[in-house]
Amino acid sequence: MSLDPVAAPYLAVVLLGFLPSEVWRWLSVALAHRIDEDSEVFRFVRSLATALLVGVVYKIVAAPARELAAAPLWARGGAFVFAAAAFFGFGRSVFAAILAGEAAVIAEAWWWG
Amino acid sequence: MPFSAWLGPDDRNWLKAGARTALSGPAFYVALSLMSTGALARAADMPPGAAMLATALIWAGPGQVLFFGALAAKAAPAAIALAVSLSSVRLLPMCLSVLPMLRGPRTRRWVLALAAHFIAVTVWTESLRRLPDMKREGRMPFFFGFALTCVALTTLASGLGYWLTAAIPGPLAAGLMTLSPFYFLAATARAARDGADWLAIGAGVVLAPLAEATVGGDFDLPLVALLGGGGAWLVGFYARKAAA
Repeated sequence: MSLDPVAAPYLAVVLLGFLPSEVWRWLSVALAHRIDEDSEVFRFVRSLATALLVGVVYKIVAAPARELAAAPLWARGGAFVFAAAAFFGFGRSVFAAILAGEAAVIAEAWWWG
Repeated sequence: MPFSAWLGPDDRNWLKAGARTALSGPAFYVALSLMSTGALARAADMPPGAAMLATALIWAGPGQVLFFGALAAKAAPAAIALAVSLSSVRLLPMCLSVLPMLRGPRTRRWVLALAAHFIAVTVWTESLRRLPDMKREGRMPFFFGFALTCVALTTLASGLGYWLTAAIPGPLAAGLMTLSPFYFLAATARAARDGADWLAIGAGVVLAPLAEATVGGDFDLPLVALLGGGGAWLVGFYARKAAA
């Protein structure tokens, strides 16, 4: 390709990153006007997206970056149990969950690092 | 046309409320966790401006990670586009579960398309949590106040990450790496409104390891979504029928 080397990285972001992911958002706009907020279809996609998110999170945890790879799987899973305990213990607090989970992960990375 | 002509005082208040909500935590969580995209851009021989543009335009974390990873691996352009697109299929149900809450009787199509651009996990989960209890006319300005604040802060962070990430000590880097899974899970659990939502979360937790072990690779996520999410919806559907 004969491309302006200064513009090429930005062009790559638009053509190979932005457009391929944005098409799904555009498709959703085309479909959304048929979906009512109180309909079963709406509840269905909400459920679908929720389960999907948990799957994505599992992938991140199961295949960790090198900084955490030395920590065994039970320790990584344990950090999530700890975070969940803080979440419910502090009245469903997102902040408490993050604080507890982060503390556990940083300690684990330091211990096994 | 002056700004104030198409944004009434109520709209501006909602917009500010959205921005304040973002600054109360979510914008910082997502900014810190996507700082690493700056480092990924550097590894792919991309300029810092490209890292910032990728955050503003792709926005979703997994899409960016794949994009820079594939570039660094010198993958073919078509293969890069395909990988990014496949990872973004999940944006479809996410957008579909937010846009109907934003839409009013006179909402323009391009406004919805603009709103859809900002939907990735952070904006999705906070929308599920906050929009249902909000008056319909406040939802759209609140959404944009929240989303624009998150994207702006994260765009700056991914630029900073280009220079900073290498200097961050290992344990802290591990912390940054796991910030988004903790935040995503906790925020989604916070947004859960009924038994079906909890069931979808629980089903995901059980099915994700099973699906990866059996189906593996690229087809486990759709399976988790359809079996876990679909199953949770079905249970809720019959529960509502029995209660009616």
